[in-house]
Order: sequence, then C-alpha cells, then structure tokens
Amino acid sequence: MTASRSGSPRLAATILLVAVAVIWVTPFAWMLIASLRPDAAGGADIASLIPSAQSGFGNFVDAWQSGNFPLWYLNTAILCAGVLAVQLVTITCAGYAFARLEFPGRQAFFYLFLMQLMLVPPILIVPNLITLSKFGLYDTLVGVMAPYFASAFGVFLMRQTFRTIPRDFEEAARVDGASRAQIICRILVPLARPGFIAFAIVSVTAHWNEFLWPLMVTSSPSNRVLTVGLASFTRSAESGSQWGLIAAGTLLVAAPLLIAFVLFQRRFVSSFVFTGIK
Amino acid sequence: MNALMRSAAAVAVASGLSLTPAQAATEIQLFFPVPVQGKLANEMENLVARFNSEHPDIKVTPVYTGSYDETNLKTRAAIKAGQPPAAVIMSASFILEYVINGEVEPYDELIAAEGKTPAEFMDDFWPALHGNALIDGKVYGVPFHNSTPLLYYNVRLFEEAGLDPDNPPATWAEWIDAAQKLTRRNGDKVEQWGVMMPTTYDYLGWITSALNMSNGGQYYNQNYAGEVYYDTPTMLGALNLLHDMVFEYKVMPEGVNDANSVTSAFFAGQLGTMILSTGSLSFVRENMKEPYRVAFVPRNVRNAVPIGGASLMMPKGLSEEQKKAGFELVKWLTSPEISGHWSRFTGYFAPNRHAYDSDEMKAFLVEHPDAKVALDQLAHAGSWFATYNTVGVRKALEDEVQAVLSGKKDPAQALKDAQAAADALMRPYVEATALSYLN
Amino acid sequence: MTDTTLSGVHLADSARKSRIHETFGVALLLLAPSLVFLALFTYWPVVQVAWQSLTVESFGGATRTGLDNFQRLFADARFARAAQNNIVFAVGTVVPSIVLALAFAVGLQETTRLTSGLRTVFILPVMIPLVAASALFSFIFQPRFGLLDYYLGSLGFGTTNWIGNPDLALWSLMGLTVWKNAGYYMLFFLAGLQAIPDELYESARVEGAKAVQRFRRITLPLLRPTLAFVVVIALLQVLTNVDHIILLTGGGPSDSTNVLLYYIYQQAHENYDIGLAAAATVVTVAALLVISAVSLRTLEHGIHYEG
Repeated sequence: MTASRSGSPRLAATILLVAVAVIWVTPFAWMLIASLRPDAAGGADIASLIPSAQSGFGNFVDAWQSGNFPLWYLNTAILCAGVLAVQLVTITCAGYAFARLEFPGRQAFFYLFLMQLMLVPPILIVPNLITLSKFGLYDTLVGVMAPYFASAFGVFLMRQTFRTIPRDFEEAARVDGASRAQIICRILVPLARPGFIAFAIVSVTAHWNEFLWPLMVTSSPSNRVLTVGLASFTRSAESGSQWGLIAAGTLLVAAPLLIAFVLFQRRFVSSFVFTGIK
Repeated sequence: MNALMRSAAAVAVASGLSLTPAQAATEIQLFFPVPVQGKLANEMENLVARFNSEHPDIKVTPVYTGSYDETNLKTRAAIKAGQPPAAVIMSASFILEYVINGEVEPYDELIAAEGKTPAEFMDDFWPALHGNALIDGKVYGVPFHNSTPLLYYNVRLFEEAGLDPDNPPATWAEWIDAAQKLTRRNGDKVEQWGVMMPTTYDYLGWITSALNMSNGGQYYNQNYAGEVYYDTPTMLGALNLLHDMVFEYKVMPEGVNDANSVTSAFFAGQLGTMILSTGSLSFVRENMKEPYRVAFVPRNVRNAVPIGGASLMMPKGLSEEQKKAGFELVKWLTSPEISGHWSRFTGYFAPNRHAYDSDEMKAFLVEHPDAKVALDQLAHAGSWFATYNTVGVRKALEDEVQAVLSGKKDPAQALKDAQAAADALMRPYVEATALSYLN
Repeated sequence: MTDTTLSGVHLADSARKSRIHETFGVALLLLAPSLVFLALFTYWPVVQVAWQSLTVESFGGATRTGLDNFQRLFADARFARAAQNNIVFAVGTVVPSIVLALAFAVGLQETTRLTSGLRTVFILPVMIPLVAASALFSFIFQPRFGLLDYYLGSLGFGTTNWIGNPDLALWSLMGLTVWKNAGYYMLFFLAGLQAIPDELYESARVEGAKAVQRFRRITLPLLRPTLAFVVVIALLQVLTNVDHIILLTGGGPSDSTNVLLYYIYQQAHENYDIGLAAAATVVTVAALLVISAVSLRTLEHGIHYEG
C-alpha cells in the first residue's frame, strides 16, 4: 500500500519526534515571548504563548543596563578559553597515555582520574579556596579556571578517540624516525580533531554556565562573569520574580552559545561522529 | 638597614604618616546579597562609589555575593581562606552562629574608641532590632535593612466580597471570616483564594514564627542558643490556624507555594489577602495594577511579628586599619541619610530611627501609607530566630509545617516531631553548655 | 648451555623490564600535567575529607579518631531518605533520558533540514545556565499561572502544585532533569550510530530483516559500549549535579526532594557538621567508584569483543 515498506512507520516516528520537539522547545518559546512582554512580573496570562500587543525590547534594554555586559562577556570568554587551552594539553597527554601505553597500574591510574567526576562540588569549595589563596589566585579568573585544568571527562573522551585511530599510521611514522612527540602532534592530534571539537563544546558550555564556583572565587566587579552578573539583577528571595527581565537576561547570556550552535550545528554533530565513543 | 627601615616605619606610623602616601587608602571589601530585587545591586555599587569619593583614605570594593545562603557560604569560605571582607551584609539570623564558632568580631572596641557605650550606639536603632544585634551584651550585627511580615490585601476584592477595606481583618477570627468571603469557587476549581503566603524554606519559618508570636508565643530562647519552643500550645494554635485555612475552611491552597506563586495570584487579582515581607513593598507597588493596602499581621492574643532582614557584621582576621575602615563604612551605611535613602529605594524600613526625622522621609510616608503601616508595626516587633544550627533547626520545623500543609500530618504530631528533630540537632551544643558545668 | 639459556632469559627479562620502566616513565610524564592539578584540587581535598570523616569532633574543639561519623551517618534517617530518593531520582532520570536520547538519535540519524532543526531543539536545554533555568522552571511549575498549569488548565485539567506537593516534587524535578539532559546524551548516541557500517544494515535488509529486527540485532549490540559510556556519564552527572534541586526546592517540601549531594551540602554548609558531611562524601564516592567500575568493565568488554 505504501510506497516503501518503512514509509508509514517512518512518518509516524517523524510526527512523534516533532511532537516531542514541540514540548522541548516550549519553555524557550515562552522565554522569548516573555522577554518581549512589558511588565512581566505577574498577572493571570503571564504564561500565555501569544505575544502581547505591546511587545518591545524594553526588558532587553533594562537587562543590558543592569550591568556591564561587555565586561561579563569578555571575562566569561577568557575563562572558557583559558580553561580549554590548558585542558587540550592535559587531556591530549593523558588520553594518549591511557590509550596507547602499557604501563603498570594503568587501570588504577585511570580510576584515580575518574574520581574527579565523582567528587561533589560543595565539599571542594573550602579546601580549594584555601589552596587558591596560598597561590595568590583568590579573586582572579585564573583561580576560577585552575581546578578545571585537569579534566577526567576529557581524558576519558580522548582515550576513546585515540583508540579508534588505527595504529598503522603511527607505526609508519615511527619507521620514518618520528619521535613520540612528533607522532602525537602531527598524526594523532589532527586525526582526533573532531574529538577535540566535541570536547571543546562540552567544556565551553559547562564553564559558560557555571555559577557557584565563580561566585565563590571572584570578588572584584572587574572579574565578574555572566552567570554571576545575571544573578545580580534577576534573583530575588523575598518578592516575586520579574519574568520578563529574567528571560531577557537569560537570552543575553545564552545568545553567543545558541547562535554558535545553530550556525555550526552540522559540524557540532559530525564532530561526535569520529570521536569513536562507540 | 632592616632595623633602620623598621624604626622609620614606626616613626611614620606613630606620627600618623604613611611611607607611601600614594597607596594610603585602606582597601576593604563589602559582601552584599540581593534579597529583594536585582536593581539593588546597581544601587549598592552607586552607594559604595559615593562612599569612596567621600572617603579618599578608604577604598571599598562592593562584592555581589548571591542570595543570603550563598553570601553565608562565601563569607565562611573567605574567612577560612584568610581573605575576610571588612563588612558583610548578613542575614541577621546567621550571625549568632558566627559568634558560637568564633568567626566574627564585635564592634565594641571600635564603638568605645568613639567614646560610646554599646547601649548608646544602639540607641539610634529601633528597639525591636536590638535583640539580633546584641549577643551577650556585645554588638555583633549592626542592622542594615529590616523587614517584618505584613498583610497585603486587594481593595477591589474586599469591596466585591462586601468587606470594608478601611477595616482589614485584625484578628485570626476576622481573617478566616474575610478569607471565606474572598474565596470563590467554580465547581472544583478555585478561581480566587482568600489567603496565600510563601511556604518555602526560610519564608515559612519566619511566617510561622509571626503566627506563633501573635498567638502570644515565643519561638526560641533568646538568651540561649540551644533551646526552641516548638511543641507548645501557642505553636499548636498557629499550626491549627494554617491547617484549618487549608483543610477546614479551604481558603488557602494546599502544599507549598513560593513567593512567586503568591505574588502572581495577587497581581492577577485572584487573591484576597497575602502575607509577604515589608521588604517587598516597592516590588508590589511597581507591579500591582489594582488598588491594594496593607495591614498588621492579624493577631489571636497580641500583635507581634519577628524582625527579618540583614545586619552588617565584621569577620575575624582583619588588620586594625581594615577594621577601622570597615566601621567607617558601617557607620556611613547606617547613617540616617543613607539608611533613609536605601529604605525608600528598597521598601525595607530604615533601622536607624533618625532616618524618619528628615523631611524627605516624612513626605515619603505621607505619599506611601503602606510604608507607614509597616513602620507602625515595628513597635510590635521582636527579634528573629537564631540558634545553634539555625538553618537546620529552622528546617526541622518547616519540614513538619509543610507536612501539615500537604495534609500528611496533624499539627500536634508535627510539632512533636519537629521538637525532637530540633533537639537532636542542638544536642552537641546543649551537652557542651547547659548540661555541663565543668567548663 | 644451561648458562646461556638462563642468561638469555635474564637478558630478555631485563630488557622487557627496562622497556616497561621506560614506558612507565613516559606515561608518568604524560600524566603529570593532569596529575599536578588533580593533586591540588581533587586528591588533596579527598585526603582532607577522608581524614575529616575519621575525625570525631566534640563541641569546643577536642578531637579524636574513630568511626563515630559513619555510625551517626548510618543511623540518620535523613541520610537513608536521601539515598532512597537518590536511587529513585537516578533510575527515574537516567533510564528515560537514555531511552529518549537513543530514540532521538536513531530518528535523527540522517541529516536533513528537518533533522538538523530537531537536533538543535533537543540540545537547546543544555545551553542555558542553570541559575536561569531554575528561575524559569519555578515559573513553569507554578500552580495555576505557570506554563504547565496554564495550558493543562485550558485542556480541562485542574490545578497541580508540581514542586509544592511532597508526593509530586521529586517527579517534577526528574522531568526537568530529563528535559535538560536527553539532548546531551543524544549527541553521544549519534556519534555511536555513525560509526556502525552501513553494509551491516544493507545485508540485514537483503535478508529481509524489519526495522525493529535491525535495531535489535545490529544497532543495539553495536551501541552497547556507547550505552555503557553514557550510563556512566549520566549516573555521575545525575548524582553530582543537583544545583537545580538546591535552587528550586531546597530539598523540600518536607525533605521529599533531598538527595545525597544535597544532604552533604546541608551537613557541610547549613549544619556545619563537617564530620558527617565527610563521612557521607566518602560513602558516596565509594559507591560511585563501584558503580562506574562495573559499568566501565561492561564498556571495555564491548570494545574488546569488536576487537
């Protein structure tokens, strides 16, 4: 009856996916509409997804003027770039060691690395602040970055990625007299590039959105990052919330990530394709 | 050489000079949370900039530190990391624990240096605030901005229900009566509630304590950090009221509601009365489109409410210069002028009673009668809950009140359980203090 | 004769040994940059936590060493409650997130304009800061006026207090977590799927296998390592990432959404009971290590099979 055997179930699956996607996107749709709605602090139809007749960018203007967004963008970008730059070195080295080298205690070392993923952040705040303070990194962006320079997640990811790259390439290079460092830099790293892109996206998203740790480490307004800035004008405990302002502020914070993702979506997804987490 | 330098430095210090005049300004930090509205962060930064320009010898960095809880977290971490701020705007109920843990410095020496006694210093502040400011007779927290719970009501809904907006409910009985008239049902669905109040952690303990106090009760032992009075007749009466509002008269929604749910309903014109902080006056004023008014929290036995808000405290580990600079800032922030300005801006009332002597403030109260009511209620205010393990001990009660509001427990059982849980949390302190005379 | 054999063996052995030594040296060199930071910001705190968990502090500063903190921990009904909530929360979020993520990935495997759009939609929740997401979700979950109730109401449903009802709150938070995480895991499955050779599907199709059969016989077995990886990452993420609980419910109402990490947070930062917080951390980390090791062994096993 149908043109293709799988046509009808495929259509049903697509409709189902689109329906789920509608649920997924609804909070964002509301956020966008609320951000354009004036005086969105309450009222009976605050949840309505129909844009208000007096829509405008008032909330965005308010949000923008509530703080120093250019500085916050810059600090957050520095934070993410700094963390990532060091991480790329540490995870390449450790990922290679776990993927390619046979050494005593490899398994034990690997679990020792993974322990980083198991530690609950609240317990780390005080000891890590004391450590930072000893190194003179309290209230610095480097202090916010330092605990993340080693990344168990990244090491895990790179270990899997390197493992999918056939050893033949390295053997050939070794026969030609390449050193280990040359093999890593000239052969493995370029081949693992999609893995690095994937890791970069995960890492940048995580640090772009982090709140509590930057709040604990930094004090000077000149070191403030986006999430802390956002919180400084949207949080409230004793009153109600100003939804329009929160929505506008959130969109301002998330905008660079959202735009980057929409623009590079294909590459983002395909970068995962070659990481070999299979 | 070294000795020479040292003696030179000593001479310089002794003669009040500095070796490096260019860097003479004492650098200190002020930690501040934003409890009510975001725009306060900006205003605080403006204030500090003004302070800095008026005090060239001091350079204050204003540090936004999140919510009250996050401020507490950051302050403790900063103290442990050896980087204490010179002043923190700290939730007044947290300060006692800093005293117990020996992490805060009293202001007494600095006050004495000005030739004042603690009593003279505190005399500028409303009497209701003294309880939380003074611990063991020493000034540990200088009140910065304060609030009490307040009854807000919708004038239109009062008129529609045949109630007189000029005579808001003053007693619990009148409150229940009004709430029943204000509640409107459509089949199973409630279209308009008589009463709502925030019942999430922190807010709930504060409001429960207000109801307990207006029932003649005392929530905790103000002179001893290891004792709370949960399993008492006055508390039982307060919980019965909450229970009956939900399940007997059905004038308040079941379960836990946050401040957003409460204000949403109020702004939507679907809520007759709500209990909310006086600190929210500005927020309500800006967002409520219908006429509303405020009144005292209704009483059963007496009019009484707890103080809320925050005080300035000084962590340990500061240099003498930093302490002095911090105290300058504290005095400036709590001066009549700044106190009044901040009060008008936020809706909190000014802790410095002389703030209300200014013409500006008098005009403001005439223009905003709701602020006047809030101020009048201050005469009936008492100090705010603070014990050993304040948050845990408060949550021990809140968990049980929430169970009552959700229909999981009856009030009497809930209070027994709350008392047991609180006693267990305070046990180490009690055993080391009240139950031990050897140390 | 005997001598030469012996010395030959000896020689080979020592050469192997020195090679292993050399490899170990290289490995250490490569691990060193990570280990420096891990030592400072992970192991040093772990050592402190382990020590604190064994330190019994009495009021006033006197300390001794013992297991009292662990005894108190296991006697604490709240800890048991938090552990129980955490199991429900972990299973209730990890299973649906992974099932959904897998479905998304299988459904959106081919790149068309529509699938690109849908992938973007599913990944959106990963991109917004939790500080803001929590504020927005407190609105979405608001009774009557919130996004959920407003539209459910117009469909004829009554008022629901999503996070204010102790019977419902944990489930609402699970829903939020699934929404937030499913797209993230989808990416790993997409990657895993791309690596499965098309020929396998082709030959299955030639043999007349239906879509469901192809999924069960090819996709699922070959995705097993990916599945194990995602399970490990998802479990660790769900157990160590509870900021939205702290911000939305604070563990309430009536402690109904308290989970292990929040229990630890409360002991450390609300009750200042460092010993109990440390003991709870030690127990949690030990449990996570065991869970990860078991899951990882499955993962490594899978890779070995593919050889």
